[in-house]
Amino acid sequence: MPIPAHHIVATPPPFDAPPYPADIFADQTVLVTGGGSGMGLAMAKAFAQGGADVAVLGRNLDRARDGAEQIAALGTRAHAISCDVRNPDAVAAAFDEAEEVLGPIGLLANNAGANFPILAEDISRNAWNAVTRIAIDGTFLCSSEFARRRIARGEGGAIVNNSAQYIWTGFPGDAHSAAAKTAQATMTKRLAADWAPYGIRVNAIAAGFFAHADSVSGRREDGVEPLQAMIPAGRTGSIWEFGWLSAMTCTPFFGEMTGQVIVQDGGESLRRSLIMPNFIPPRERADGPWGWQ
Amino acid sequence: MSGWLAGKRARIEGEGAAVTTAIEAAGAVLVADGEGDCDIWVHIAPHSEIKRAHEIGHSEWRASLDAGLDRRFLGAQKFAAECRARGQGGAVLFVGAPEQALGADHAAAAGALGNLTKTLGVEWARDGIRVNSILTRTSEETLGHLAAYLVSDYAAYVTGAVMGIDLDD
Repeated sequence: MPIPAHHIVATPPPFDAPPYPADIFADQTVLVTGGGSGMGLAMAKAFAQGGADVAVLGRNLDRARDGAEQIAALGTRAHAISCDVRNPDAVAAAFDEAEEVLGPIGLLANNAGANFPILAEDISRNAWNAVTRIAIDGTFLCSSEFARRRIARGEGGAIVNNSAQYIWTGFPGDAHSAAAKTAQATMTKRLAADWAPYGIRVNAIAAGFFAHADSVSGRREDGVEPLQAMIPAGRTGSIWEFGWLSAMTCTPFFGEMTGQVIVQDGGESLRRSLIMPNFIPPRERADGPWGWQ
Repeated sequence: MSGWLAGKRARIEGEGAAVTTAIEAAGAVLVADGEGDCDIWVHIAPHSEIKRAHEIGHSEWRASLDAGLDRRFLGAQKFAAECRARGQGGAVLFVGAPEQALGADHAAAAGALGNLTKTLGVEWARDGIRVNSILTRTSEETLGHLAAYLVSDYAAYVTGAVMGIDLDD
């Protein structure tokens, strides 16, 4: 169903009009996990638009390199590194390499994650471990590695975590990610408290549907149009507005902000009525655990 | 941030230097009540006195709820009606203290306001009217910048959101 013509859909400025000057992150380096594609690449580009050099971490080096090329095209330095963020030694080595090539890491975007619709009873031990540990252990390991280095240097820094719109409601048909993304949000608040004395800020964006080539929504056969109609804002998010808000939390503009989880989902997670269509358990949904996959 | 609110007209109700300064610095023209249409309505609630619940008289309770909740709803309702009449979207922002920062009067008002924010953000989404809240103890620069960002088109996908700034918020 298309959005009726009399509805008004709020839209962001275009990609080439970022909300901050091109030198807001000048002489700084950001490390973005899962930065080679999708939402991580959007974060990386947003930091690059503010002048940051970018270390792109990815499990798949080719994909990280593809992302790094796109980032470098924005006029900053970018360096791709293969890394499994669940492995603390690999994380430390990736920070070493990034700092050797680009200089001290003063900004961190924890984006690495995996997600797919699946019934809880069908989640294998491997799948559970992968989805929860990339997000939970990965965010912790990268953040603590970052913080130890900043504290040792006597300098502050900023971290932004990519969480999700379903963290306060649960997500039937997606138990692994429901657990993982909430852990990221709740650890955001505690990490912020622990590191406030060191001038390290930690915030998270609880992101809604930002369709891209590698997202479940972006791969739908029907495209994203049916999703647009179901979201109160009348559209899925433009991926660069997610990147911008993420990067904004790391700018001096929001220099006092820490421990916050900002929901950016066009009202999607709040869309609820007392009277709704009949409840169908994820197991019985004709079109898969999410109802359309 | 000079371009965030270029061409926008904003009405700010209540006292808050950081918010007012930032919204003007972001390029918005401030419009007084009754001086015409605006694209943005910001309500900044005064902080009520902190008293223990059994020491709050009913008139004080009522005044706090009036400023922290009723006035905000009525103002948003009027602003949204103006937006709809013009066929334009808009942005509402409520600014105040966190739920547990003051007394029981404020706790009630701020909790109500939070869920009102979530409700109106969805109810008016297809009018292109966004509704958000900042509940914080801080009153400095970041508050102003965050406020200006939230009422700008850069936050076009943020609605029904309630956030703070500081760890204590």
